[in-house]
Order: sequence, then C-alpha cells, then structure tokens
Amino acid sequence: MDNINTKEYSPESPSMKSRLSWLWSEYSVIIAFIIIFIAASVMNPRFLDINNQLNILMQVSIIGIIALGMTVVMLSGGIDLSVGSVLALAGVISVLALNASGSILIGVFTALLVGAFAGFLNGLMVAKGRIASFIATLGMMAAARSIALYIAEGGSVSGEVSGFTAIANNNVWIFDLPVLIFFAMAVLIYIVMHKTRFGRYVYALGSNEKAAMLSAIRVDRIKIGVYTLIGTLVGVAAVIETSRLNSISSSSSGAQYELDAIAAVIIGGTRMTGGRGKIIGTIFGILILGILNNMMNLMNVSPHLQGFVKGLIIIIAVVFQKRE
Amino acid sequence: MTSQPFVAMNQIEKSFNGVPVLKKVTLEVEKGEIHALLGENGAGKSTLMNILGGVHQPDSGQIFIEGKQVTMANPHISQTHGISFIHQELNMVGDLKVYENMFLGSEIRNKAGFLNVEEMCRQTREILAELGVFLNPKEYVRNLATSYKQLIEISKALLHKSQLIIMDEPTTSLAEHEVGRLFELMRNLKKSGVSIIYISHKLKEIQAVCDRYTVLRDGQLVKTDDMQSGNLEEITKLMVGKAISQERFVHEHEFGEMALEVERLSSPGLFKDIDFTVRKGQIVGFTGLAGDGRTELFESLFGYRKKYTGTIKVKGKAMKITHPRTALQAGMGYVPKDRKENAIIKDLSVVHNMSLSSMGNFERWGFIQDKRELEKFSNYEKTLNIKVANPRITIDKLSGGNQQKVIIAKWLEADTDILIFDNPTQGIDVGAKQEIYQEILELAKLGKAIIILSSEAPEVLRICHVINVMYHGEITARFMGDETNEEEIMHYATGAKREGEHIG
Repeated sequence: MDNINTKEYSPESPSMKSRLSWLWSEYSVIIAFIIIFIAASVMNPRFLDINNQLNILMQVSIIGIIALGMTVVMLSGGIDLSVGSVLALAGVISVLALNASGSILIGVFTALLVGAFAGFLNGLMVAKGRIASFIATLGMMAAARSIALYIAEGGSVSGEVSGFTAIANNNVWIFDLPVLIFFAMAVLIYIVMHKTRFGRYVYALGSNEKAAMLSAIRVDRIKIGVYTLIGTLVGVAAVIETSRLNSISSSSSGAQYELDAIAAVIIGGTRMTGGRGKIIGTIFGILILGILNNMMNLMNVSPHLQGFVKGLIIIIAVVFQKRE
Repeated sequence: MTSQPFVAMNQIEKSFNGVPVLKKVTLEVEKGEIHALLGENGAGKSTLMNILGGVHQPDSGQIFIEGKQVTMANPHISQTHGISFIHQELNMVGDLKVYENMFLGSEIRNKAGFLNVEEMCRQTREILAELGVFLNPKEYVRNLATSYKQLIEISKALLHKSQLIIMDEPTTSLAEHEVGRLFELMRNLKKSGVSIIYISHKLKEIQAVCDRYTVLRDGQLVKTDDMQSGNLEEITKLMVGKAISQERFVHEHEFGEMALEVERLSSPGLFKDIDFTVRKGQIVGFTGLAGDGRTELFESLFGYRKKYTGTIKVKGKAMKITHPRTALQAGMGYVPKDRKENAIIKDLSVVHNMSLSSMGNFERWGFIQDKRELEKFSNYEKTLNIKVANPRITIDKLSGGNQQKVIIAKWLEADTDILIFDNPTQGIDVGAKQEIYQEILELAKLGKAIIILSSEAPEVLRICHVINVMYHGEITARFMGDETNEEEIMHYATGAKREGEHIG
C-alpha cells in the first residue's frame, strides 16, 4: 500500500506532467473559457466593458437555466429535445392564465406547472414506456409546439398585466434579475446533484442502470424526476422569456434552444452517455457560447456565419476533451 | 524442449506514475508449452502480459521471439508475431453474429469483393466443433451465455493460427464440463506446437493442465519451476507469502428463526417449483452448471425480474417482491455476479458506492453528510480490510477483491437480515477470497441468513451448511454441507442423477 501513497503524494518529476494532464481533463472547459476570454479582450477592447459583460450574462441566462436541467438529464443518460417547444407552450398558456386571472403569481405558477407536466410526461414515456429519450422527447417537441401554435392561432400572445415585465427587466444592484435567477438555479441544482440522494442516484443511473437498480434504487422514479425537473426549469425560462418583451411567439420562441442547451452541456464536459459531468462545467460551457456570440456581434460577423462558428467550437470542444 | 524458447522476456521493468509495477521480470515460454503465470491481483501479471501484447511499452528490458529481438510497439505488431491475447473481459460485439465476430477485421471476401458468408460460417462451425461446441454461426452473440462467448474468443485465436495464446482467467465463466473441454483443446494445441500462457487463480486447474509455472509477487519474479516439482500449497505460499488452508471453513452453530421460506417459485423457461428455506445464521449454497437458472431465480427473488409465481415468506410473512427496493425493505441484500456489469458504479467514488443502497443513514435534513459517509467507510475499510489509499477515487481503480469488499460493505450498511451472494469470489485473488469467506462466516455467526450462489462446487463445499444443486431450473438435490463431495454434486448438476421427492 505504500506504493499507492507515494503515487498520490510524491513530488517526483513524472507526476508534474500527469498532474497537468489531470488538471486538463478535469477543468479543460475552464481553461478554454479563460483562453477565449483573454482572446476576446485582446481582440476587442469593448468586450471588457462592464455593461457588455453584464449583457453577456443576461443573454445566456435563459439558455443557461435550461442547460442546467439538460445537464441533469444527460447525466442520467438521456436527452431532452423538447425544451424549446415546451418553453413556447408554457409561455403561451401562462400568458393566457396571467391575462385571465390578472395575477402575476398565477401566471408564473402556470408556466412552471405546464413545464413540469410536459417533463413528467417525457419521464413517463422514458421510464414506464421504455421509449428512448431521444424519440420520446422528439415526439414531445413536435406535439408541444403544435399545441402552442393551436392555442395562439399561430401568432404571439401578449401580457396585459402591468408589472409582469418587471421580472425580466428589473435590476438588483448591477445585475439583471434573470441573471440572478440563473445563478440561484445553478446553486440549487448544484446542491441537488451533490448534496441529495436524488443527485447521487442520477449519477449512478447514468453510469450503470442495472447496477443502480440492483442497488435497490427506484430507477423509474428517478428518471421521471429528472425529466420533471428539466420541465420545471423550462417553465422558469419561459417566464423570463415571456416577461422580457411581455409577449411570446408560438412559432419562433424557444426555437433551437435545445441545441444551444445541449451544446453548452457538451462543451462543459458532460459525457453523452451519462454518469460523468459537472454542473460547473455547463455554466462555463454556456459562458463560452455567450462570449462567442457577443464577440461576433461586436466584430460585425454576419449573423449567418455565427452558426458555423458555434458548430466549429462544439466540435473542437469535444475533440479536445479527454475521451475514454 | 527446443534449445531456444519461443518467447523470452528479459529483465522487463515498468512503472506507472513513478510506481514500479514490474521489477526486472524474466519470463521464458518454450514452444508447445503451457505456462502458468501466477500471482495475486496487483502482482503485475496483467502488466507483463500487456507488454507482451503490445498494449504497454516496457521502461527497460527486451523481448525475443524465437531468438530475435522485437519491439511490441502496438497490439497489431504483437499479433503479427503470432501472439493472441484473450482478455478476461470479453471483446465481443453483441449485435453481430457469431461468424461476424470470429472474422471481425479479417473477413473473407470473394473475388468480387463481397463477403463470403458461407465460407466464414463453414470455418466457424469447424473450429467450434473442435471445441465441442455446436452453435449456429448466424446466431447473434448477444443471445449467448457468457461461457459461449469465451469459447468464441478462444476460437478466434485458433482461427488466426496464433503461435502463443495468452489466456487471462479463461475459466471464470465456464461450467465444469466446458472447462474440461477447454483443457483437452489446450493439450491438443500444445501437441501442434502452440504455446499458451495461462493466467488463473484456480490452482487445481493449473496443476491439471500446465507444464511450468512462474509466480510473481509485488512486481517481482518469485519462482519459475516445473509443475511436477511443486505442490499446490507451496505455490499458494509463494503467491501470497503465507500458507492458506483449503479445508472446510464453516463452523457449526445454532441456527435462529426462519428467515426466508420459498415455496413453488416458478418462472416459465427459467426455473420451476423451487422450494427452500433459510434460517438465521445458516449459510445455504446453490450450485450447478451454466444455465441452471440459479442467478435468474435469485434475481427474481430480489425483485429484478418480475414474472414469477409462487410464495416468498420473509420472517413468516408472505411478501410480494416487485422491485429490488421492496426486497431491501423486506430485509434482503444482493451481491450480484459479474461485478463490473451488475454491482459497481464505475463513475462513483469508492465511498459513494458504499453508501448507495442506504442513503438514509447519511442524511440530515435531506442533505448528504460527506463526513458521516467517510467515517462509516473508514470503519468498513478496517473491518473488511479494504485496501484503498484515497476513498474518493472512483471504484474502478481498485482491484477486483477490493471492489467486491466495497460492494459487501454496501449491503452491510443496508443492514439486511438476508444476504444473497452470487459468485462472490469471481475474479478475486486467493488472499482476498479467504477474507471474503471469513467475513461471510462472521455474518452468519451474527445471525444473518446467507445464501451463496456459486459455479464452483468446492466453494459451496467449503462454506455452506446446506447445499442445493440445480439443473435446468430445478433443484435436483440437497445435501448437508459436510455429507457430500464434489463428485456427488457433479452427478446432480449434470442431470445424470436426481433425487425424487426427497428434498427437505
């Protein structure tokens, strides 16, 4: 056993190299973030402007909240493609509830409920129906968008209650409220994943489902919980999205959010097949995406080319991450 | 013997992260020799073989093949030198057919460049027949039992006309008669000049089939000698550095109340009319050949499989067990076989694997208390003698024996009255094996009801009070542990004999 101790603690020369490679494999996303951050500040001095920085945070907060949920889903070994559509559906229904009741609280609550319920259905399909998550949520993606379009008759719905817009447009100190909601959610999800049994079970399930089940874990319930959780977070995101412009479009709101969320999770180093990954990685993943978008805007890159750069970064990120 | 060994590995040294794993090890294998490579887990056997197989590069030392020095830069080069490595973990593609797996990477094509399926099937059938296995070459590998997969892996080495086959614990998942067949095959190979390096923990097997042996301990060569000149006890002593008895382990003590009663448990196609009882403090064994249904039986009992009929009474109360969770609540714990697939969560740390089935013990206000987990683990680390420098590393970094001890700790922490062990010493070295037996006996003494499933008759003979023998999903015989022997068990396990109404 002495051998193992020396391996852990000896300051010998070969361990320097192995320590660097450990640092890289564990925190490559943070290193990448720092490099991109520095590059951005060198390339454009306006980047470092505090208002620009806060603007980036504001822009990533909605996708960020969804990406937190996506991390949990992907850690469990699944994927959720329905987030964008469910966001639109939750937004549309919550605006209707808001206008009908005149209560902001009811509006917010409705959005959370619709999101959670859609997530719950996804969870039922995956856990009890044994449908692959890709397929189940693909179905939900089409269905939720369709219902949103039907309810809003293909257009947008707008809030008629004053004060609702305050949610996304107010500041606390220098921070926009959505940014603080994003941070609060990040802390919450971090605690759930690392300090509660639910989080532990999600990792176990994503790593080895059979062993998790044979360890007397109710795998089905955890799966349903995972999808309900992301659904609820999508509900939160829907509230912010709706509140920002006091309206939501049944056709375009939330479009392709699933791709950005998945991209953030992947850049953040979470393994596609589940079991390994970190919430903190996803946060840096989403920040990298935000900085890239911001830089391209500052440098007047054609918006048509921005998707290309984003795609390139995702692929580079995955290539550089240590693969097993 | 020829004057020149087929393979000579000379003064091989290798270290990982500054930790020496092999210290000037020399190994020579003659042409047409079966050479046993022995040592506990972590002794450096796998590293040595991985160097020969081109997976790792030695820090110093040379490898000679038929006298010519070679550099095994990668596994492909090793293969072209006629070396085949049959790993303990099987490299089979479940979604391909038998013949497709056999010819993976070296498919036979006809002149037009299309696959010549018929020829590949013919050759597959031929080689399998040599092994005494009759399989449809077009069967999907995922539908086969592990033992068949192993045989296919061996056939693959034969197909490539290897000069040296390295077998890493090939018999772990084989039933007794399949082992016999494998040995016969090995002897035939030997006659045709093929050399074999045979890694195993089962000393009896080694004595039966090997010509010479090499013992490694802590990365050093301890001894190389002819098989005839050493006896098993002496070799064991060389491996672990101390003597280990092969005697019957179990102590008689008073049994407590009835813990588990099973009546007429049946599941179509898997097992039928299973009756047995276990008392507190009793160790009940189940053994049989591959396909006897014992694993399926206890997976059902533990709620992993749901399609069964019959009654299960735990402490006198009839229970409907529909999920491992309800089994745990009823007071059952299950240490499954095939640790890697069924027991360990490789991405979780050692501590987290330990606490997984009893999270409630570590929570306060719904939050996990890391400190409490670590404290609990350090208790088990001592009582079970788990060797781990840092319990926060992921469990897959531990040796098999230590992994198994962590899994046992997991179920001890869940504190169930009934503990089911399926092949508890699978792929575990001699020393750790002994410790696990000892622990099981301690648990029985504490009044736990213990069930042991094992494919090795000697294992149940050593530690069980009662032995059930299964054949094709039925219990064909039941013995008191001290009133039977391996031969008798084999009679019932092969279905050659069955006790009529008898049992009970």
